[in-house]
Amino acid sequence: MFETFFPQLIGLCTGALLLTSALMVWRHSLLASIRLLALQGVALAALVAVIGIAEGESELGLVSLLILSVKGIGLPWVLAYQSKASIKQIQESTRLNPTAALLAVTLLSILSYVVVSRVFGLGDSSTGHAAPIGLAMVLIGFLLLISRRRARSQLIGFLVLDNGIATTTFLTSGGVPILLEFAVSLDVLLVVLILHVFTGRMRTKFGGTAVDQLRELHD
Amino acid sequence: MTGIGAGLLLQLGLGALAVVTALLAAPSLRSRAGGILCTLIAVTGFITGLAAMLGATGGLLIPVALPMDPLLLAPDRLGGLFMLIVSGVGILVSIYSMSSTSGPDASRTAWVAMPVFLVGMQLVPAATDSVSFLLAWEIMTLGSTVLLLADHASRASVASAGIWYSAMSQLSFFFILAGFAVLAAASGGTSFSNLQAIEPGSAAANVAFVLLLLGFGGKAELVPLHVWVPRVLPEAPSHVSAAMSGAMVKIGVYGGLLVCVRLLPDGPAWWGIAIMLVGGASALYGILQASVSSDLKVLLAYSTTENMGLVFLGLGASMLLRGYDATAAADAALVAALLLAVSHAAFKSTLFLGAGAIIHATGERNLDRLGGLGARMPVTAVAFGIASLGAAAIPITSGFVAEWMLLQSLIHGGRQGGAVVSIAASVAMPIAVAVIALTAGLALLTFVKAYGIAFLARPRSVEAADAREVPSLMRISLALGALSVLALGLLPGPIAALVATTVSSDPTAAVQTVGLGGVSLPGIGAVLDPIMLVVLSALVAIPVIVAIIVSARRHPHRTVDLPWGGGGSRARPRMQYTATSYAEPLVRVFDDVLKPSRDVQVTHVAESRYLVEHVRVEQTVSDVIETRLYRPVLNLFQRYGKAARHVANGSIHRYLTYSFVALLIVLIVVSL
Repeated sequence: MFETFFPQLIGLCTGALLLTSALMVWRHSLLASIRLLALQGVALAALVAVIGIAEGESELGLVSLLILSVKGIGLPWVLAYQSKASIKQIQESTRLNPTAALLAVTLLSILSYVVVSRVFGLGDSSTGHAAPIGLAMVLIGFLLLISRRRARSQLIGFLVLDNGIATTTFLTSGGVPILLEFAVSLDVLLVVLILHVFTGRMRTKFGGTAVDQLRELHD
Repeated sequence: MTGIGAGLLLQLGLGALAVVTALLAAPSLRSRAGGILCTLIAVTGFITGLAAMLGATGGLLIPVALPMDPLLLAPDRLGGLFMLIVSGVGILVSIYSMSSTSGPDASRTAWVAMPVFLVGMQLVPAATDSVSFLLAWEIMTLGSTVLLLADHASRASVASAGIWYSAMSQLSFFFILAGFAVLAAASGGTSFSNLQAIEPGSAAANVAFVLLLLGFGGKAELVPLHVWVPRVLPEAPSHVSAAMSGAMVKIGVYGGLLVCVRLLPDGPAWWGIAIMLVGGASALYGILQASVSSDLKVLLAYSTTENMGLVFLGLGASMLLRGYDATAAADAALVAALLLAVSHAAFKSTLFLGAGAIIHATGERNLDRLGGLGARMPVTAVAFGIASLGAAAIPITSGFVAEWMLLQSLIHGGRQGGAVVSIAASVAMPIAVAVIALTAGLALLTFVKAYGIAFLARPRSVEAADAREVPSLMRISLALGALSVLALGLLPGPIAALVATTVSSDPTAAVQTVGLGGVSLPGIGAVLDPIMLVVLSALVAIPVIVAIIVSARRHPHRTVDLPWGGGGSRARPRMQYTATSYAEPLVRVFDDVLKPSRDVQVTHVAESRYLVEHVRVEQTVSDVIETRLYRPVLNLFQRYGKAARHVANGSIHRYLTYSFVALLIVLIVVSL
């Protein structure tokens, strides 16, 4: 029963991951981006859970819970830790217009399919077929990093990149030991916390968090 | 642990203690405590070096986890000699610098850097593998750079000197690193015993030889890598200049010897000729610039280039002669080069310390504003005078013995048993003799100028007229330096015999002691006995002196009061010869090489064009090599550097875009 659904579930989860990444490039509102990031975390947790059930490993269930709590709930909550009213008004003015950005996302997705299939081979399993999604997410995260001006939006790009790495790991090798996953998640949480404090300081010091203005500090 | 190992460990321990003391000690105690600890470091190095030179073995193993040959500090005889030279200068400098109690020389930074510099210098000759060699080398460079910058806050030229020094040091380091890397790649190890296995004629050896010569030549102030010298040595505090010129430059010489004598002996003939060319050019160019300089420390700095040129000339001659199996002459040339290095360490550090004493007393280093210091600073004057004799290679000083021995080996080296050794040698040797002769003549002029203008005649400025003798520790240090110059000159035999054991396979065939500490070169049949010379000249001089005294007794002294003072009583100090006017004929003779720029401004009286109110003459002699060779290259770099600023403009987005684009390119390339 489950075997027939398994490829479809994998497709659903990875499709959700790719879709949320693409939508993040498209949307300009910070709140929307954070919500999409939470959704992406949930999708990643679901993907891990599906793989865990398919391979019959209870450990992956724990990992799934961990990912859900950190990437689905914890990190978005930290990022959105501000009054709802003020965060709704934050609009990102990107360095790339939405049409060009979506076009770039398409090209990056195609590129990652080409790269994975030519270099590593897609294999026969349904997880192997979905593996390019991970690389595509990494590239899209990078695109977010370079196209966003605000420190917090850049942080979201960084987290998408991290999600992409995690996705690739789970799809290609069936996950990593729980201890390692735990450590990596905590690291990411720590980075986000530090950068969050940092952007708070930036805002009080310079009145904004546009990273562009930091160039004045060189020399 | 052996005695050598314990000595090396003690140096490291004392160095660490000195750094901690400099950091923690109160400003009033810092100079004393730091100076005493630095003196102890140098004394330990001196004893360790002496023991190693006399043949003691042993060393200090530094454990590392990296996959390479072990790091071992174990000086051989040659290393011991250079450790001795470096730490001897270190003792002088440490005693001297103890007396500065305020200002940048007594700052915490300077006293932290001083032991680092000393320990680094003393460990370079102890290294037996390229990694620990480079490590100690960098420690030395780091310490000297910080010391140089001690005075940067009050003088802008120090910062510029610091940039030149850092750039040239890194260039040297790059060449040395590349040279050792080539050797290590060809031999499969980093220790010197592995590197020795390279065939000297192979391509790797040739490439490494050129790279290492460039690297060590840069440190040894050879032309055309000397451009840092006239900026750095004058701008550094004087005791630091003394340590740099007296000791650090010798480490460059040690590097040259390491390559040519220990690692790659018996190289092709062109190696020796190349080193002779570079050495001869450096000697001539250095002394020419020194002879026309009127800045005392610039003069001493350029004279260092000259002396190191002579050392390398001797080294090159010895390599060339050894290639034609003229072993005795080759050994004599090599021993002469080493003696020149030893004596240069003695007289040049004394001269720089003397210059420091002059600056301490007058605040001036421009010779044109000095004069009359002989009566006001007698100890400094005597020490500086003896060291000047050494620098001008006058008998009974160390410089003379070394240059005499070098000339002997060059004159007799071209022939062996009456037959010509080779065409190359019989062409190269006479040219080298001519170079040394010209150099010696110009050196004499230079140091007559340096001593005569600074210490004799009348003061040319108020500062010089108000000069007072320097504190006692400075005087002690100067006296020690002058004594060592005399000792090396009066007892050349035992010293030369000892030095010969470090490089020669058959030292007694090369150099022997004769008479009262005299030196004999049995291989080429030459003898020099300075004490006998002194006794002989005393035998000649004493009857003359006695006769003068007796005749003076017979004719009692009459006071003569010339009515118009012989023209001398109303002469003003401005009417005396200055350093610039003394060197004027030289500037005219060597006009084509020196390319001086002259500027004459005549101001006329307002009423008539035919009457002159005053005339201002300005003459600057710039470094031709710097303006013709370095400036164009630097301008080119500057242009590309400015263009490159647009590439790296500080925008984080731009940097991220670069890495993103790079990643995409890599992905596209691997999938093609």
